[in-house]
Amino acid sequence: MPRWLSWAWLVPAAFLAAFLAYPLVVLLRTVGTGGADGALARLASASIWQVAALAALQAVISTLLALVVGLPIANVVTRYRFPGRALAQALVTVPFVLPTVVVALAFRSLVGPGIAQGFALVVIAHAYVNLAVIVRIVGSQWAQHDADYENVARTLGATRWRAFVDVTLPSLRPAIVSSATVVFVFSFTSLGIVLLLGDASTRTLESYVLRQTSVLLDFPGAAAAALVQLVLVTAVLLSGAVVARRSPTRRMRPLSLRPLPAQALARAAVIATAAVSFVIVLAPIVALVASSVRASGGWTIDWWASMGSVDAGTTRIGSPASALGTSLRFALVTAIVAAVVGGLAAVAVVVPGRTRVVALLAMVPLGVSAATLGLGTLLAFGRPPVDLRASGLLIPIAHALVAVPLVVAVVAPALRGTDARTMQVAASLGARPTRAFLTAYGPVLRVVMVASAGLAAAVSLGEFGAASFLSRSGAPTVPVQIVRLLSRPGEQSTGVAAALAVVLVVTTLALVLVVDRLGRTRRTA
Amino acid sequence: MTTPRLETRDLALGYDGSVFARGIDLAVLPAQIVAILGPSGSGKSTLLGTIAGVVRAAGGAVLVDGDDVTRAPIHERGIGLIFQEPLLFPHLSVADNVAYGLRRHGASREAARARAAELLAWVGLSGYEGRSVDELSGGQAQRVALVRALAPRPAVLLLDEPFSALDRDLRQRLAREVADLLRQEGVAALHVTHDPEEASAMGDRVVDLTDLFGS
Repeated sequence: MPRWLSWAWLVPAAFLAAFLAYPLVVLLRTVGTGGADGALARLASASIWQVAALAALQAVISTLLALVVGLPIANVVTRYRFPGRALAQALVTVPFVLPTVVVALAFRSLVGPGIAQGFALVVIAHAYVNLAVIVRIVGSQWAQHDADYENVARTLGATRWRAFVDVTLPSLRPAIVSSATVVFVFSFTSLGIVLLLGDASTRTLESYVLRQTSVLLDFPGAAAAALVQLVLVTAVLLSGAVVARRSPTRRMRPLSLRPLPAQALARAAVIATAAVSFVIVLAPIVALVASSVRASGGWTIDWWASMGSVDAGTTRIGSPASALGTSLRFALVTAIVAAVVGGLAAVAVVVPGRTRVVALLAMVPLGVSAATLGLGTLLAFGRPPVDLRASGLLIPIAHALVAVPLVVAVVAPALRGTDARTMQVAASLGARPTRAFLTAYGPVLRVVMVASAGLAAAVSLGEFGAASFLSRSGAPTVPVQIVRLLSRPGEQSTGVAAALAVVLVVTTLALVLVVDRLGRTRRTA
Repeated sequence: MTTPRLETRDLALGYDGSVFARGIDLAVLPAQIVAILGPSGSGKSTLLGTIAGVVRAAGGAVLVDGDDVTRAPIHERGIGLIFQEPLLFPHLSVADNVAYGLRRHGASREAARARAAELLAWVGLSGYEGRSVDELSGGQAQRVALVRALAPRPAVLLLDEPFSALDRDLRQRLAREVADLLRQEGVAALHVTHDPEEASAMGDRVVDLTDLFGS
């Protein structure tokens, strides 16, 4: 092992200390100071807890809806063999990788102006975005579940439904609990969807924090709400992990798809579920594309034609094209920073010794919401003595923090799966330590680093929460620009926002496709 | 003439519309153990699965006590099935595994527990009632699977190479032990295996699978 590798952990450690730990400390200090009007006093304020209770209720219902829709789809797309199955499985993932602002706008386009915004629409949009979480996590467990357990229960006298409840559900419980925990946290800390689809009474602590900061300039109140959210989310994630772990082992079977059921009714149910999943996923996206080429008078390309104009959408805050430029620039910096920091944190897992704890610490930002991150960064680096606002680095840094856990999650397993003995063979043939390391891990690293950088770029392009705190008014990112456009009346702003959203959809999907393709080449290599 | 507990008439086996065996006529009389001998991959499990209703019959009929159950759902056939692996429900205790079928047949919780304790004692597993199934050895787990299948008193018990995952000594001992238990209870059983010794140790009658499929 090259010696420099045992110091590699210093880079991610320093990055996390400076840009995660320090802002959180500043946030806590803001909560602790200020006397009777300070944030500590705000912790007792009823409004924070009212918002928290309402957000929890909303998140519970969102999670239940995602489960009700997601479980049948998981059953069908991961267990049965039918034409279009792989496409259906890929399609279900799409809503999850789309920026939340885009999803919100797509739902607005779908329901049209006739349906009132509010609680129900927010819940439906949350279930839509998180469908992939349920289908992926529960589906992978379900695909490996041995159907002979149910057959045993059936021969003992259980009906099909009874066998499902008694045998299949307990086996899926860990996967259901962990996916439901994730969906709950995403819905509880949601921002873009709540801002665009909610009404005055549908709020989350995240939207509360943003409002206190940007409208009321009440930093202690915002810090108190961020702290409450941080504590609640950590508690939910921890208890979810505990419940999911307490679960017996059972026989798993290698994945193999089964033919469609022979019974006509069961077969129809499987086909209908697959068809419904196509419609559910595609309807909002089709509506979004349509509204980018529609005006009250009929079809139009005006919204697309005005992308380069400052007056587009009458925001006068810069043209849509310049917002796209800003976003792409930030995405590039984010990709580089996240790949370097996350890559070095992931390398720590193959280095002997205690440095691998860094890889664990690098996952912490996952539990910190975007508004907490944005507000903390703003408080720490957005005012003297350290004012980085003009540097244009605040957003990429916050985005890199969000992306680092994903980079580690992609790179670490790939490194772990590489045979370390190749390095010893190379060394025994005369390679110096660094050369031996690169011989063993280089080929894998090259692919996964590019893939994870692409993922980081996709995250940055769609991220709204932190960017909404840190964007300077003259240079918004695309999601921030979309939200600003939508806050203005008139079909032009909606049309231009839809066109921008379509561009974001295409860019994000292209990035995710490339990442996916790279992942496949590595597996088959 | 005695009505067979289990009978197949001109039964055909297959998946997805393709048929790989047809014309299977087989009868298991009350308290009789029939062993079917055939190599791995020859369709033994499909035969048992089709009789139990796990796999749809490609043709012909399955009769239990003279009643045609070919179209009946699995849980209404009165056929017990033991797989190669015990497949004990991991989230239930040993006793609750045994009681499961009794509960599905309407027994109260207390009655099912009491009967489960009797059955466990019968196979030498007294004191294991409250244990987790993870604590059982391979042989113990297969004994629990046996009494779990017998508890609701199925008309016929199908055994799909239930000892194949065990080592040779244990396999032979358990085969004899299970055959004795089935005879004590007068259970009709159909047992498939690729092991000629096991087939002759278990079966009152040994049938070669190729003869069965060829007929």
